[in-house]
Amino acid sequence: MATDADEADPGEGSGPLGATTDVGGGDPLAGEPWYRRYLWDHRVHAAVVVLFALYPFAYSGLTEAMPATMTTLLPGITVMVGVLYFGLFAMSFDFVSGYTGYLDFGHAAFYGIGAYFVILVANDKVPLLDPSTPFMFSLVIAGLLAALVALVIGAVSFRLTGVYFAMITLGFAQVIYVLMSNWDYLGDNPRSGIAVNTSMHPEGFEVGVPFVDALNMQIASANFVGETLSTELAGHVIALSAPEVSYFMIGLVVGFCYFAMQRVIHSPFGKVMIAIRENEERAEAIGYDTFKYKMGAFAISAFFAAVGGALFAGYRRSVDPDNSLFFLVAGDALLAAIIGGFGTLAGALFGFLFFEFLGELLANNFVSRGGESVPDGLLPYLRDVLGEGTLSTTLFGDVTVRTVLDVLFNGRAELYIGVLFVLFVLYVPNGILGTLRLWLGGTVAKKLPERIGSRLRGGQADPGPPDD
Amino acid sequence: MTGANYAAGHAMQAAPLASAVEILLDFLDPGTIIQVLINGLAKSSVFVMIAVGLTLVFGLMGVLNFAHGSLTMIGAYLGGALVLFAVSPSMGDFTRLGAFFVVVVAVLALLTALGAALEISLIRPLYDRPPLYQILLTFGLTLVFDEIVRIVLEIYDIQPTTKWQAPLNTRPSFMGQESQRTLDWLFGVRVDGMQVFEIVFGFVVVVGIWLFLTRTRYGLYIRAGSEDTEMTEALGIDVGQAFTVVFGLGVGLAGVAGALLMWDPIRGGASVPLGADVLLPAFVVVIVGGLGTYRGTVVAALIVGMTDATMTWLFDNHVEFAGLPELVVFLILVIVLIVKPQGLFGVKEVGGH
Amino acid sequence: MSADADPGDGDASDTSTGGAPLVEVEDAHTYYGESHVLEGVSLSVREGENVALIGRNGVGKTTTLRTILQLTPPRRGTVRVKGADVTGMATHEVARRGVGWIPEDRRMFAELTVEENLTVSVRESERTAAELERAFETFPALREHRSRKAGNLSGGQQQMLAIARGLVGDNDVLLVDEPSEGLAPLIVETVADVLRDISQNDDVSLLLVEQNFPLAVDLADRFYLIDHGQVVESGPTEGLTSDDERIARYLGA
Repeated sequence: MATDADEADPGEGSGPLGATTDVGGGDPLAGEPWYRRYLWDHRVHAAVVVLFALYPFAYSGLTEAMPATMTTLLPGITVMVGVLYFGLFAMSFDFVSGYTGYLDFGHAAFYGIGAYFVILVANDKVPLLDPSTPFMFSLVIAGLLAALVALVIGAVSFRLTGVYFAMITLGFAQVIYVLMSNWDYLGDNPRSGIAVNTSMHPEGFEVGVPFVDALNMQIASANFVGETLSTELAGHVIALSAPEVSYFMIGLVVGFCYFAMQRVIHSPFGKVMIAIRENEERAEAIGYDTFKYKMGAFAISAFFAAVGGALFAGYRRSVDPDNSLFFLVAGDALLAAIIGGFGTLAGALFGFLFFEFLGELLANNFVSRGGESVPDGLLPYLRDVLGEGTLSTTLFGDVTVRTVLDVLFNGRAELYIGVLFVLFVLYVPNGILGTLRLWLGGTVAKKLPERIGSRLRGGQADPGPPDD
Repeated sequence: MTGANYAAGHAMQAAPLASAVEILLDFLDPGTIIQVLINGLAKSSVFVMIAVGLTLVFGLMGVLNFAHGSLTMIGAYLGGALVLFAVSPSMGDFTRLGAFFVVVVAVLALLTALGAALEISLIRPLYDRPPLYQILLTFGLTLVFDEIVRIVLEIYDIQPTTKWQAPLNTRPSFMGQESQRTLDWLFGVRVDGMQVFEIVFGFVVVVGIWLFLTRTRYGLYIRAGSEDTEMTEALGIDVGQAFTVVFGLGVGLAGVAGALLMWDPIRGGASVPLGADVLLPAFVVVIVGGLGTYRGTVVAALIVGMTDATMTWLFDNHVEFAGLPELVVFLILVIVLIVKPQGLFGVKEVGGH
Repeated sequence: MSADADPGDGDASDTSTGGAPLVEVEDAHTYYGESHVLEGVSLSVREGENVALIGRNGVGKTTTLRTILQLTPPRRGTVRVKGADVTGMATHEVARRGVGWIPEDRRMFAELTVEENLTVSVRESERTAAELERAFETFPALREHRSRKAGNLSGGQQQMLAIARGLVGDNDVLLVDEPSEGLAPLIVETVADVLRDISQNDDVSLLLVEQNFPLAVDLADRFYLIDHGQVVESGPTEGLTSDDERIARYLGA
């Protein structure tokens, strides 16, 4: 991909190709093959994908070089896997709530349906589906099931608006939550969740193209269950642990889902979704059957929420009602979407990444890195760095530096996230990505290259096409 | 849905019709009915207590306060701390009750002040934004409140997730588990002192608020403002101030509910998860009643409380599905919203943003 | 837009019809979101006079009233009540300076009784009984229904209650918006009588928005004709008919 970017680079100037076209301001690739054009249009997306792809290597390189500091600062790979699947869920939440303006407080139901479904299939609890059904199949079926449930819930819920809509979706989700927490068909102790039957499935679930062995990799958080990879590339041995393999495989699915949702948002269908958010009456007056659009958006969003849930359960190999179906799970998606930027799709994932970054930073434990125990989190790190002398320094009374650090940083991620969230709601209501968009005057994917381009040409504003 | 059928199916496998009749006959036993009624009234009292502040705030301001549950939880801990301070082991039952009421008043005052401060500093800047932002802000506040409480509990070495036992010893002897009495004259109904206390407490609060709303000038302003803020303002009434007062009062009442629940480990008990546990039933009651109508909230609390008690009885005696009461409570929410979206006593435009 | 002269200037010639100014609007520009509704309205209402705002639907008459009350404050321009600048003040403070509002479609507190509707409007609570008595004397029908919910009253009764609400507030000026709308002709007569009566006997000036042209002319001493958010004509109503070319041009056939 790096080469593509290089090739595209000349286009930043007003080359002869750019001058001849009036489709997109300075479009240098008119007449080029579609895939080149597509990559050009999505060069920011491509860059982000590349960054995500490089992260595990950067992480292991950096943590080897500076174990204590980097382990503290950077989220580990297992955390990043969570960012991917929960980020997908948060994006699916933003897809329906951020774009149509209908706050789905029961969105956790779809995440939970996806998570429960794949495990129930694997445990032979779903009629008609064999436990050996490929994971990718049950993942898609889970999505379709969630979409179907969304259509049922939506049929009654979309007659309501505002707070009432939020409440009825919450009600439906809680009904499902209570059911799944108490239904002993699911497992011995449904309240504490269900796990994959390891005797039926000793190995991780396969993500990839079903039945083509070469195009599948297993996902799992532990090496002895999942798949590790060791290969030699240009003289370097590349060894991937099971979480790293999972990171790439889940990343592939999440990336695919993101681009699918992004496609819908930028289609005429997505325009109507936004019109509904801005002014539903007007959208109706223009002649759109808004009910159908809302139902469609809800079903699509439920589908991807369930895919996120399926990846979560597939990777973790277990699920319980409180980490999947409980309404506060949707609350986390809401927090992520708001911080990242409500109605920006990708913002939800970045918002969640930001959370996890904070959570990791404020964690309080040690991990083993290269045979030695390395602090993971700000508190142990500071203790490590400051040393006993500084720590026991008395500030006033019997309050020492250690006490202050403990109070401030000992597993306080929730507090900081809460404060940060409140500040965002008050002062940065558009979130990170939304504020960037306002600042750039369009989507980041479109405007950032223009900005950079014009900067390179000497501050001249790129005329650009009118924002659609 | 299938879960309920499945579970019910367990109980009714042999002859569904016969066992349905059997259950009905069992239920119609006077002892059973009175027992369920008393249990239901106690539950209704708790429901009305946790919902009433929420409803006042939504009625006037259109703000759905997601932090309401957390504030109830804060009230529970605050009440627990104060009652431990106020009650000494040598006190008699009535002195203890007296001390409890002093504590309730203190909790009401402190949390009303907190609520007023919250309204002025955080909620007020959001009135001209879409209602979504008020939900978001109060939702964010729950995170902050819960975490602050955890920090304080850590300092005092109290387990945040289990029910706080210490304040239970301050209860008068007629509450508590050992106080259960079988009333032989009342078809052998079993009643415990805590239930009676809750019923009386809930009744007093409901009547008190009703008198405040209907018999005082400020209550009149609140009712007028709930119907039409702009018109009330144009009649020369400082609705902005009323917002502060009502939000404060709503938070204060959340705290009072918490103080009550702090003494009742069965229906409550002070713990951090109490916040999320009471928030959802409070929503159900408020929505079913019709967002923001006081009468509706009281009626809905009775409906939800009675249903809960009946379902609990069904589960105890006939149906092997532990989630039955909770499930049915949420089903009530869903069904009411489908059949009568504005709630039982709701006015159409309120909250339909 | 022939009236390119600042309409505010026109007021000077009208001072004869009243005493000290109660409400003065000067070059008010009011927006709803991005739409510019009032584009520099200037007008005044003085003690002892009634003033009508006339013009077609949607030209900014109701917005002018809302601007005076600061319900939709102007982005530019000033509003004065009895000489004091109230621009940007809270609505309730403007109201307490003696400005009453009898809005379009009445806006009763439907769940409150007639008596409660009136009580809310009394500004000094110790005067409640006296003010209610005054209202019931003016509107005997309301006394009969004092314990009924306002939502259960007929349209005419509701209009009476709305006016009574303005009356018990002890206001010096009432902003009356479309009082005849949706009422039967006979009831309109009664409403007109009541308005005329309180403006004469209770020392209240009216700023009246009214589609019913003869009624407006009948009740008011002066008029302002508003079009596209600007005052385009003003003057005494005496002898004014809808055939007047100045009027007809803007009101249309």
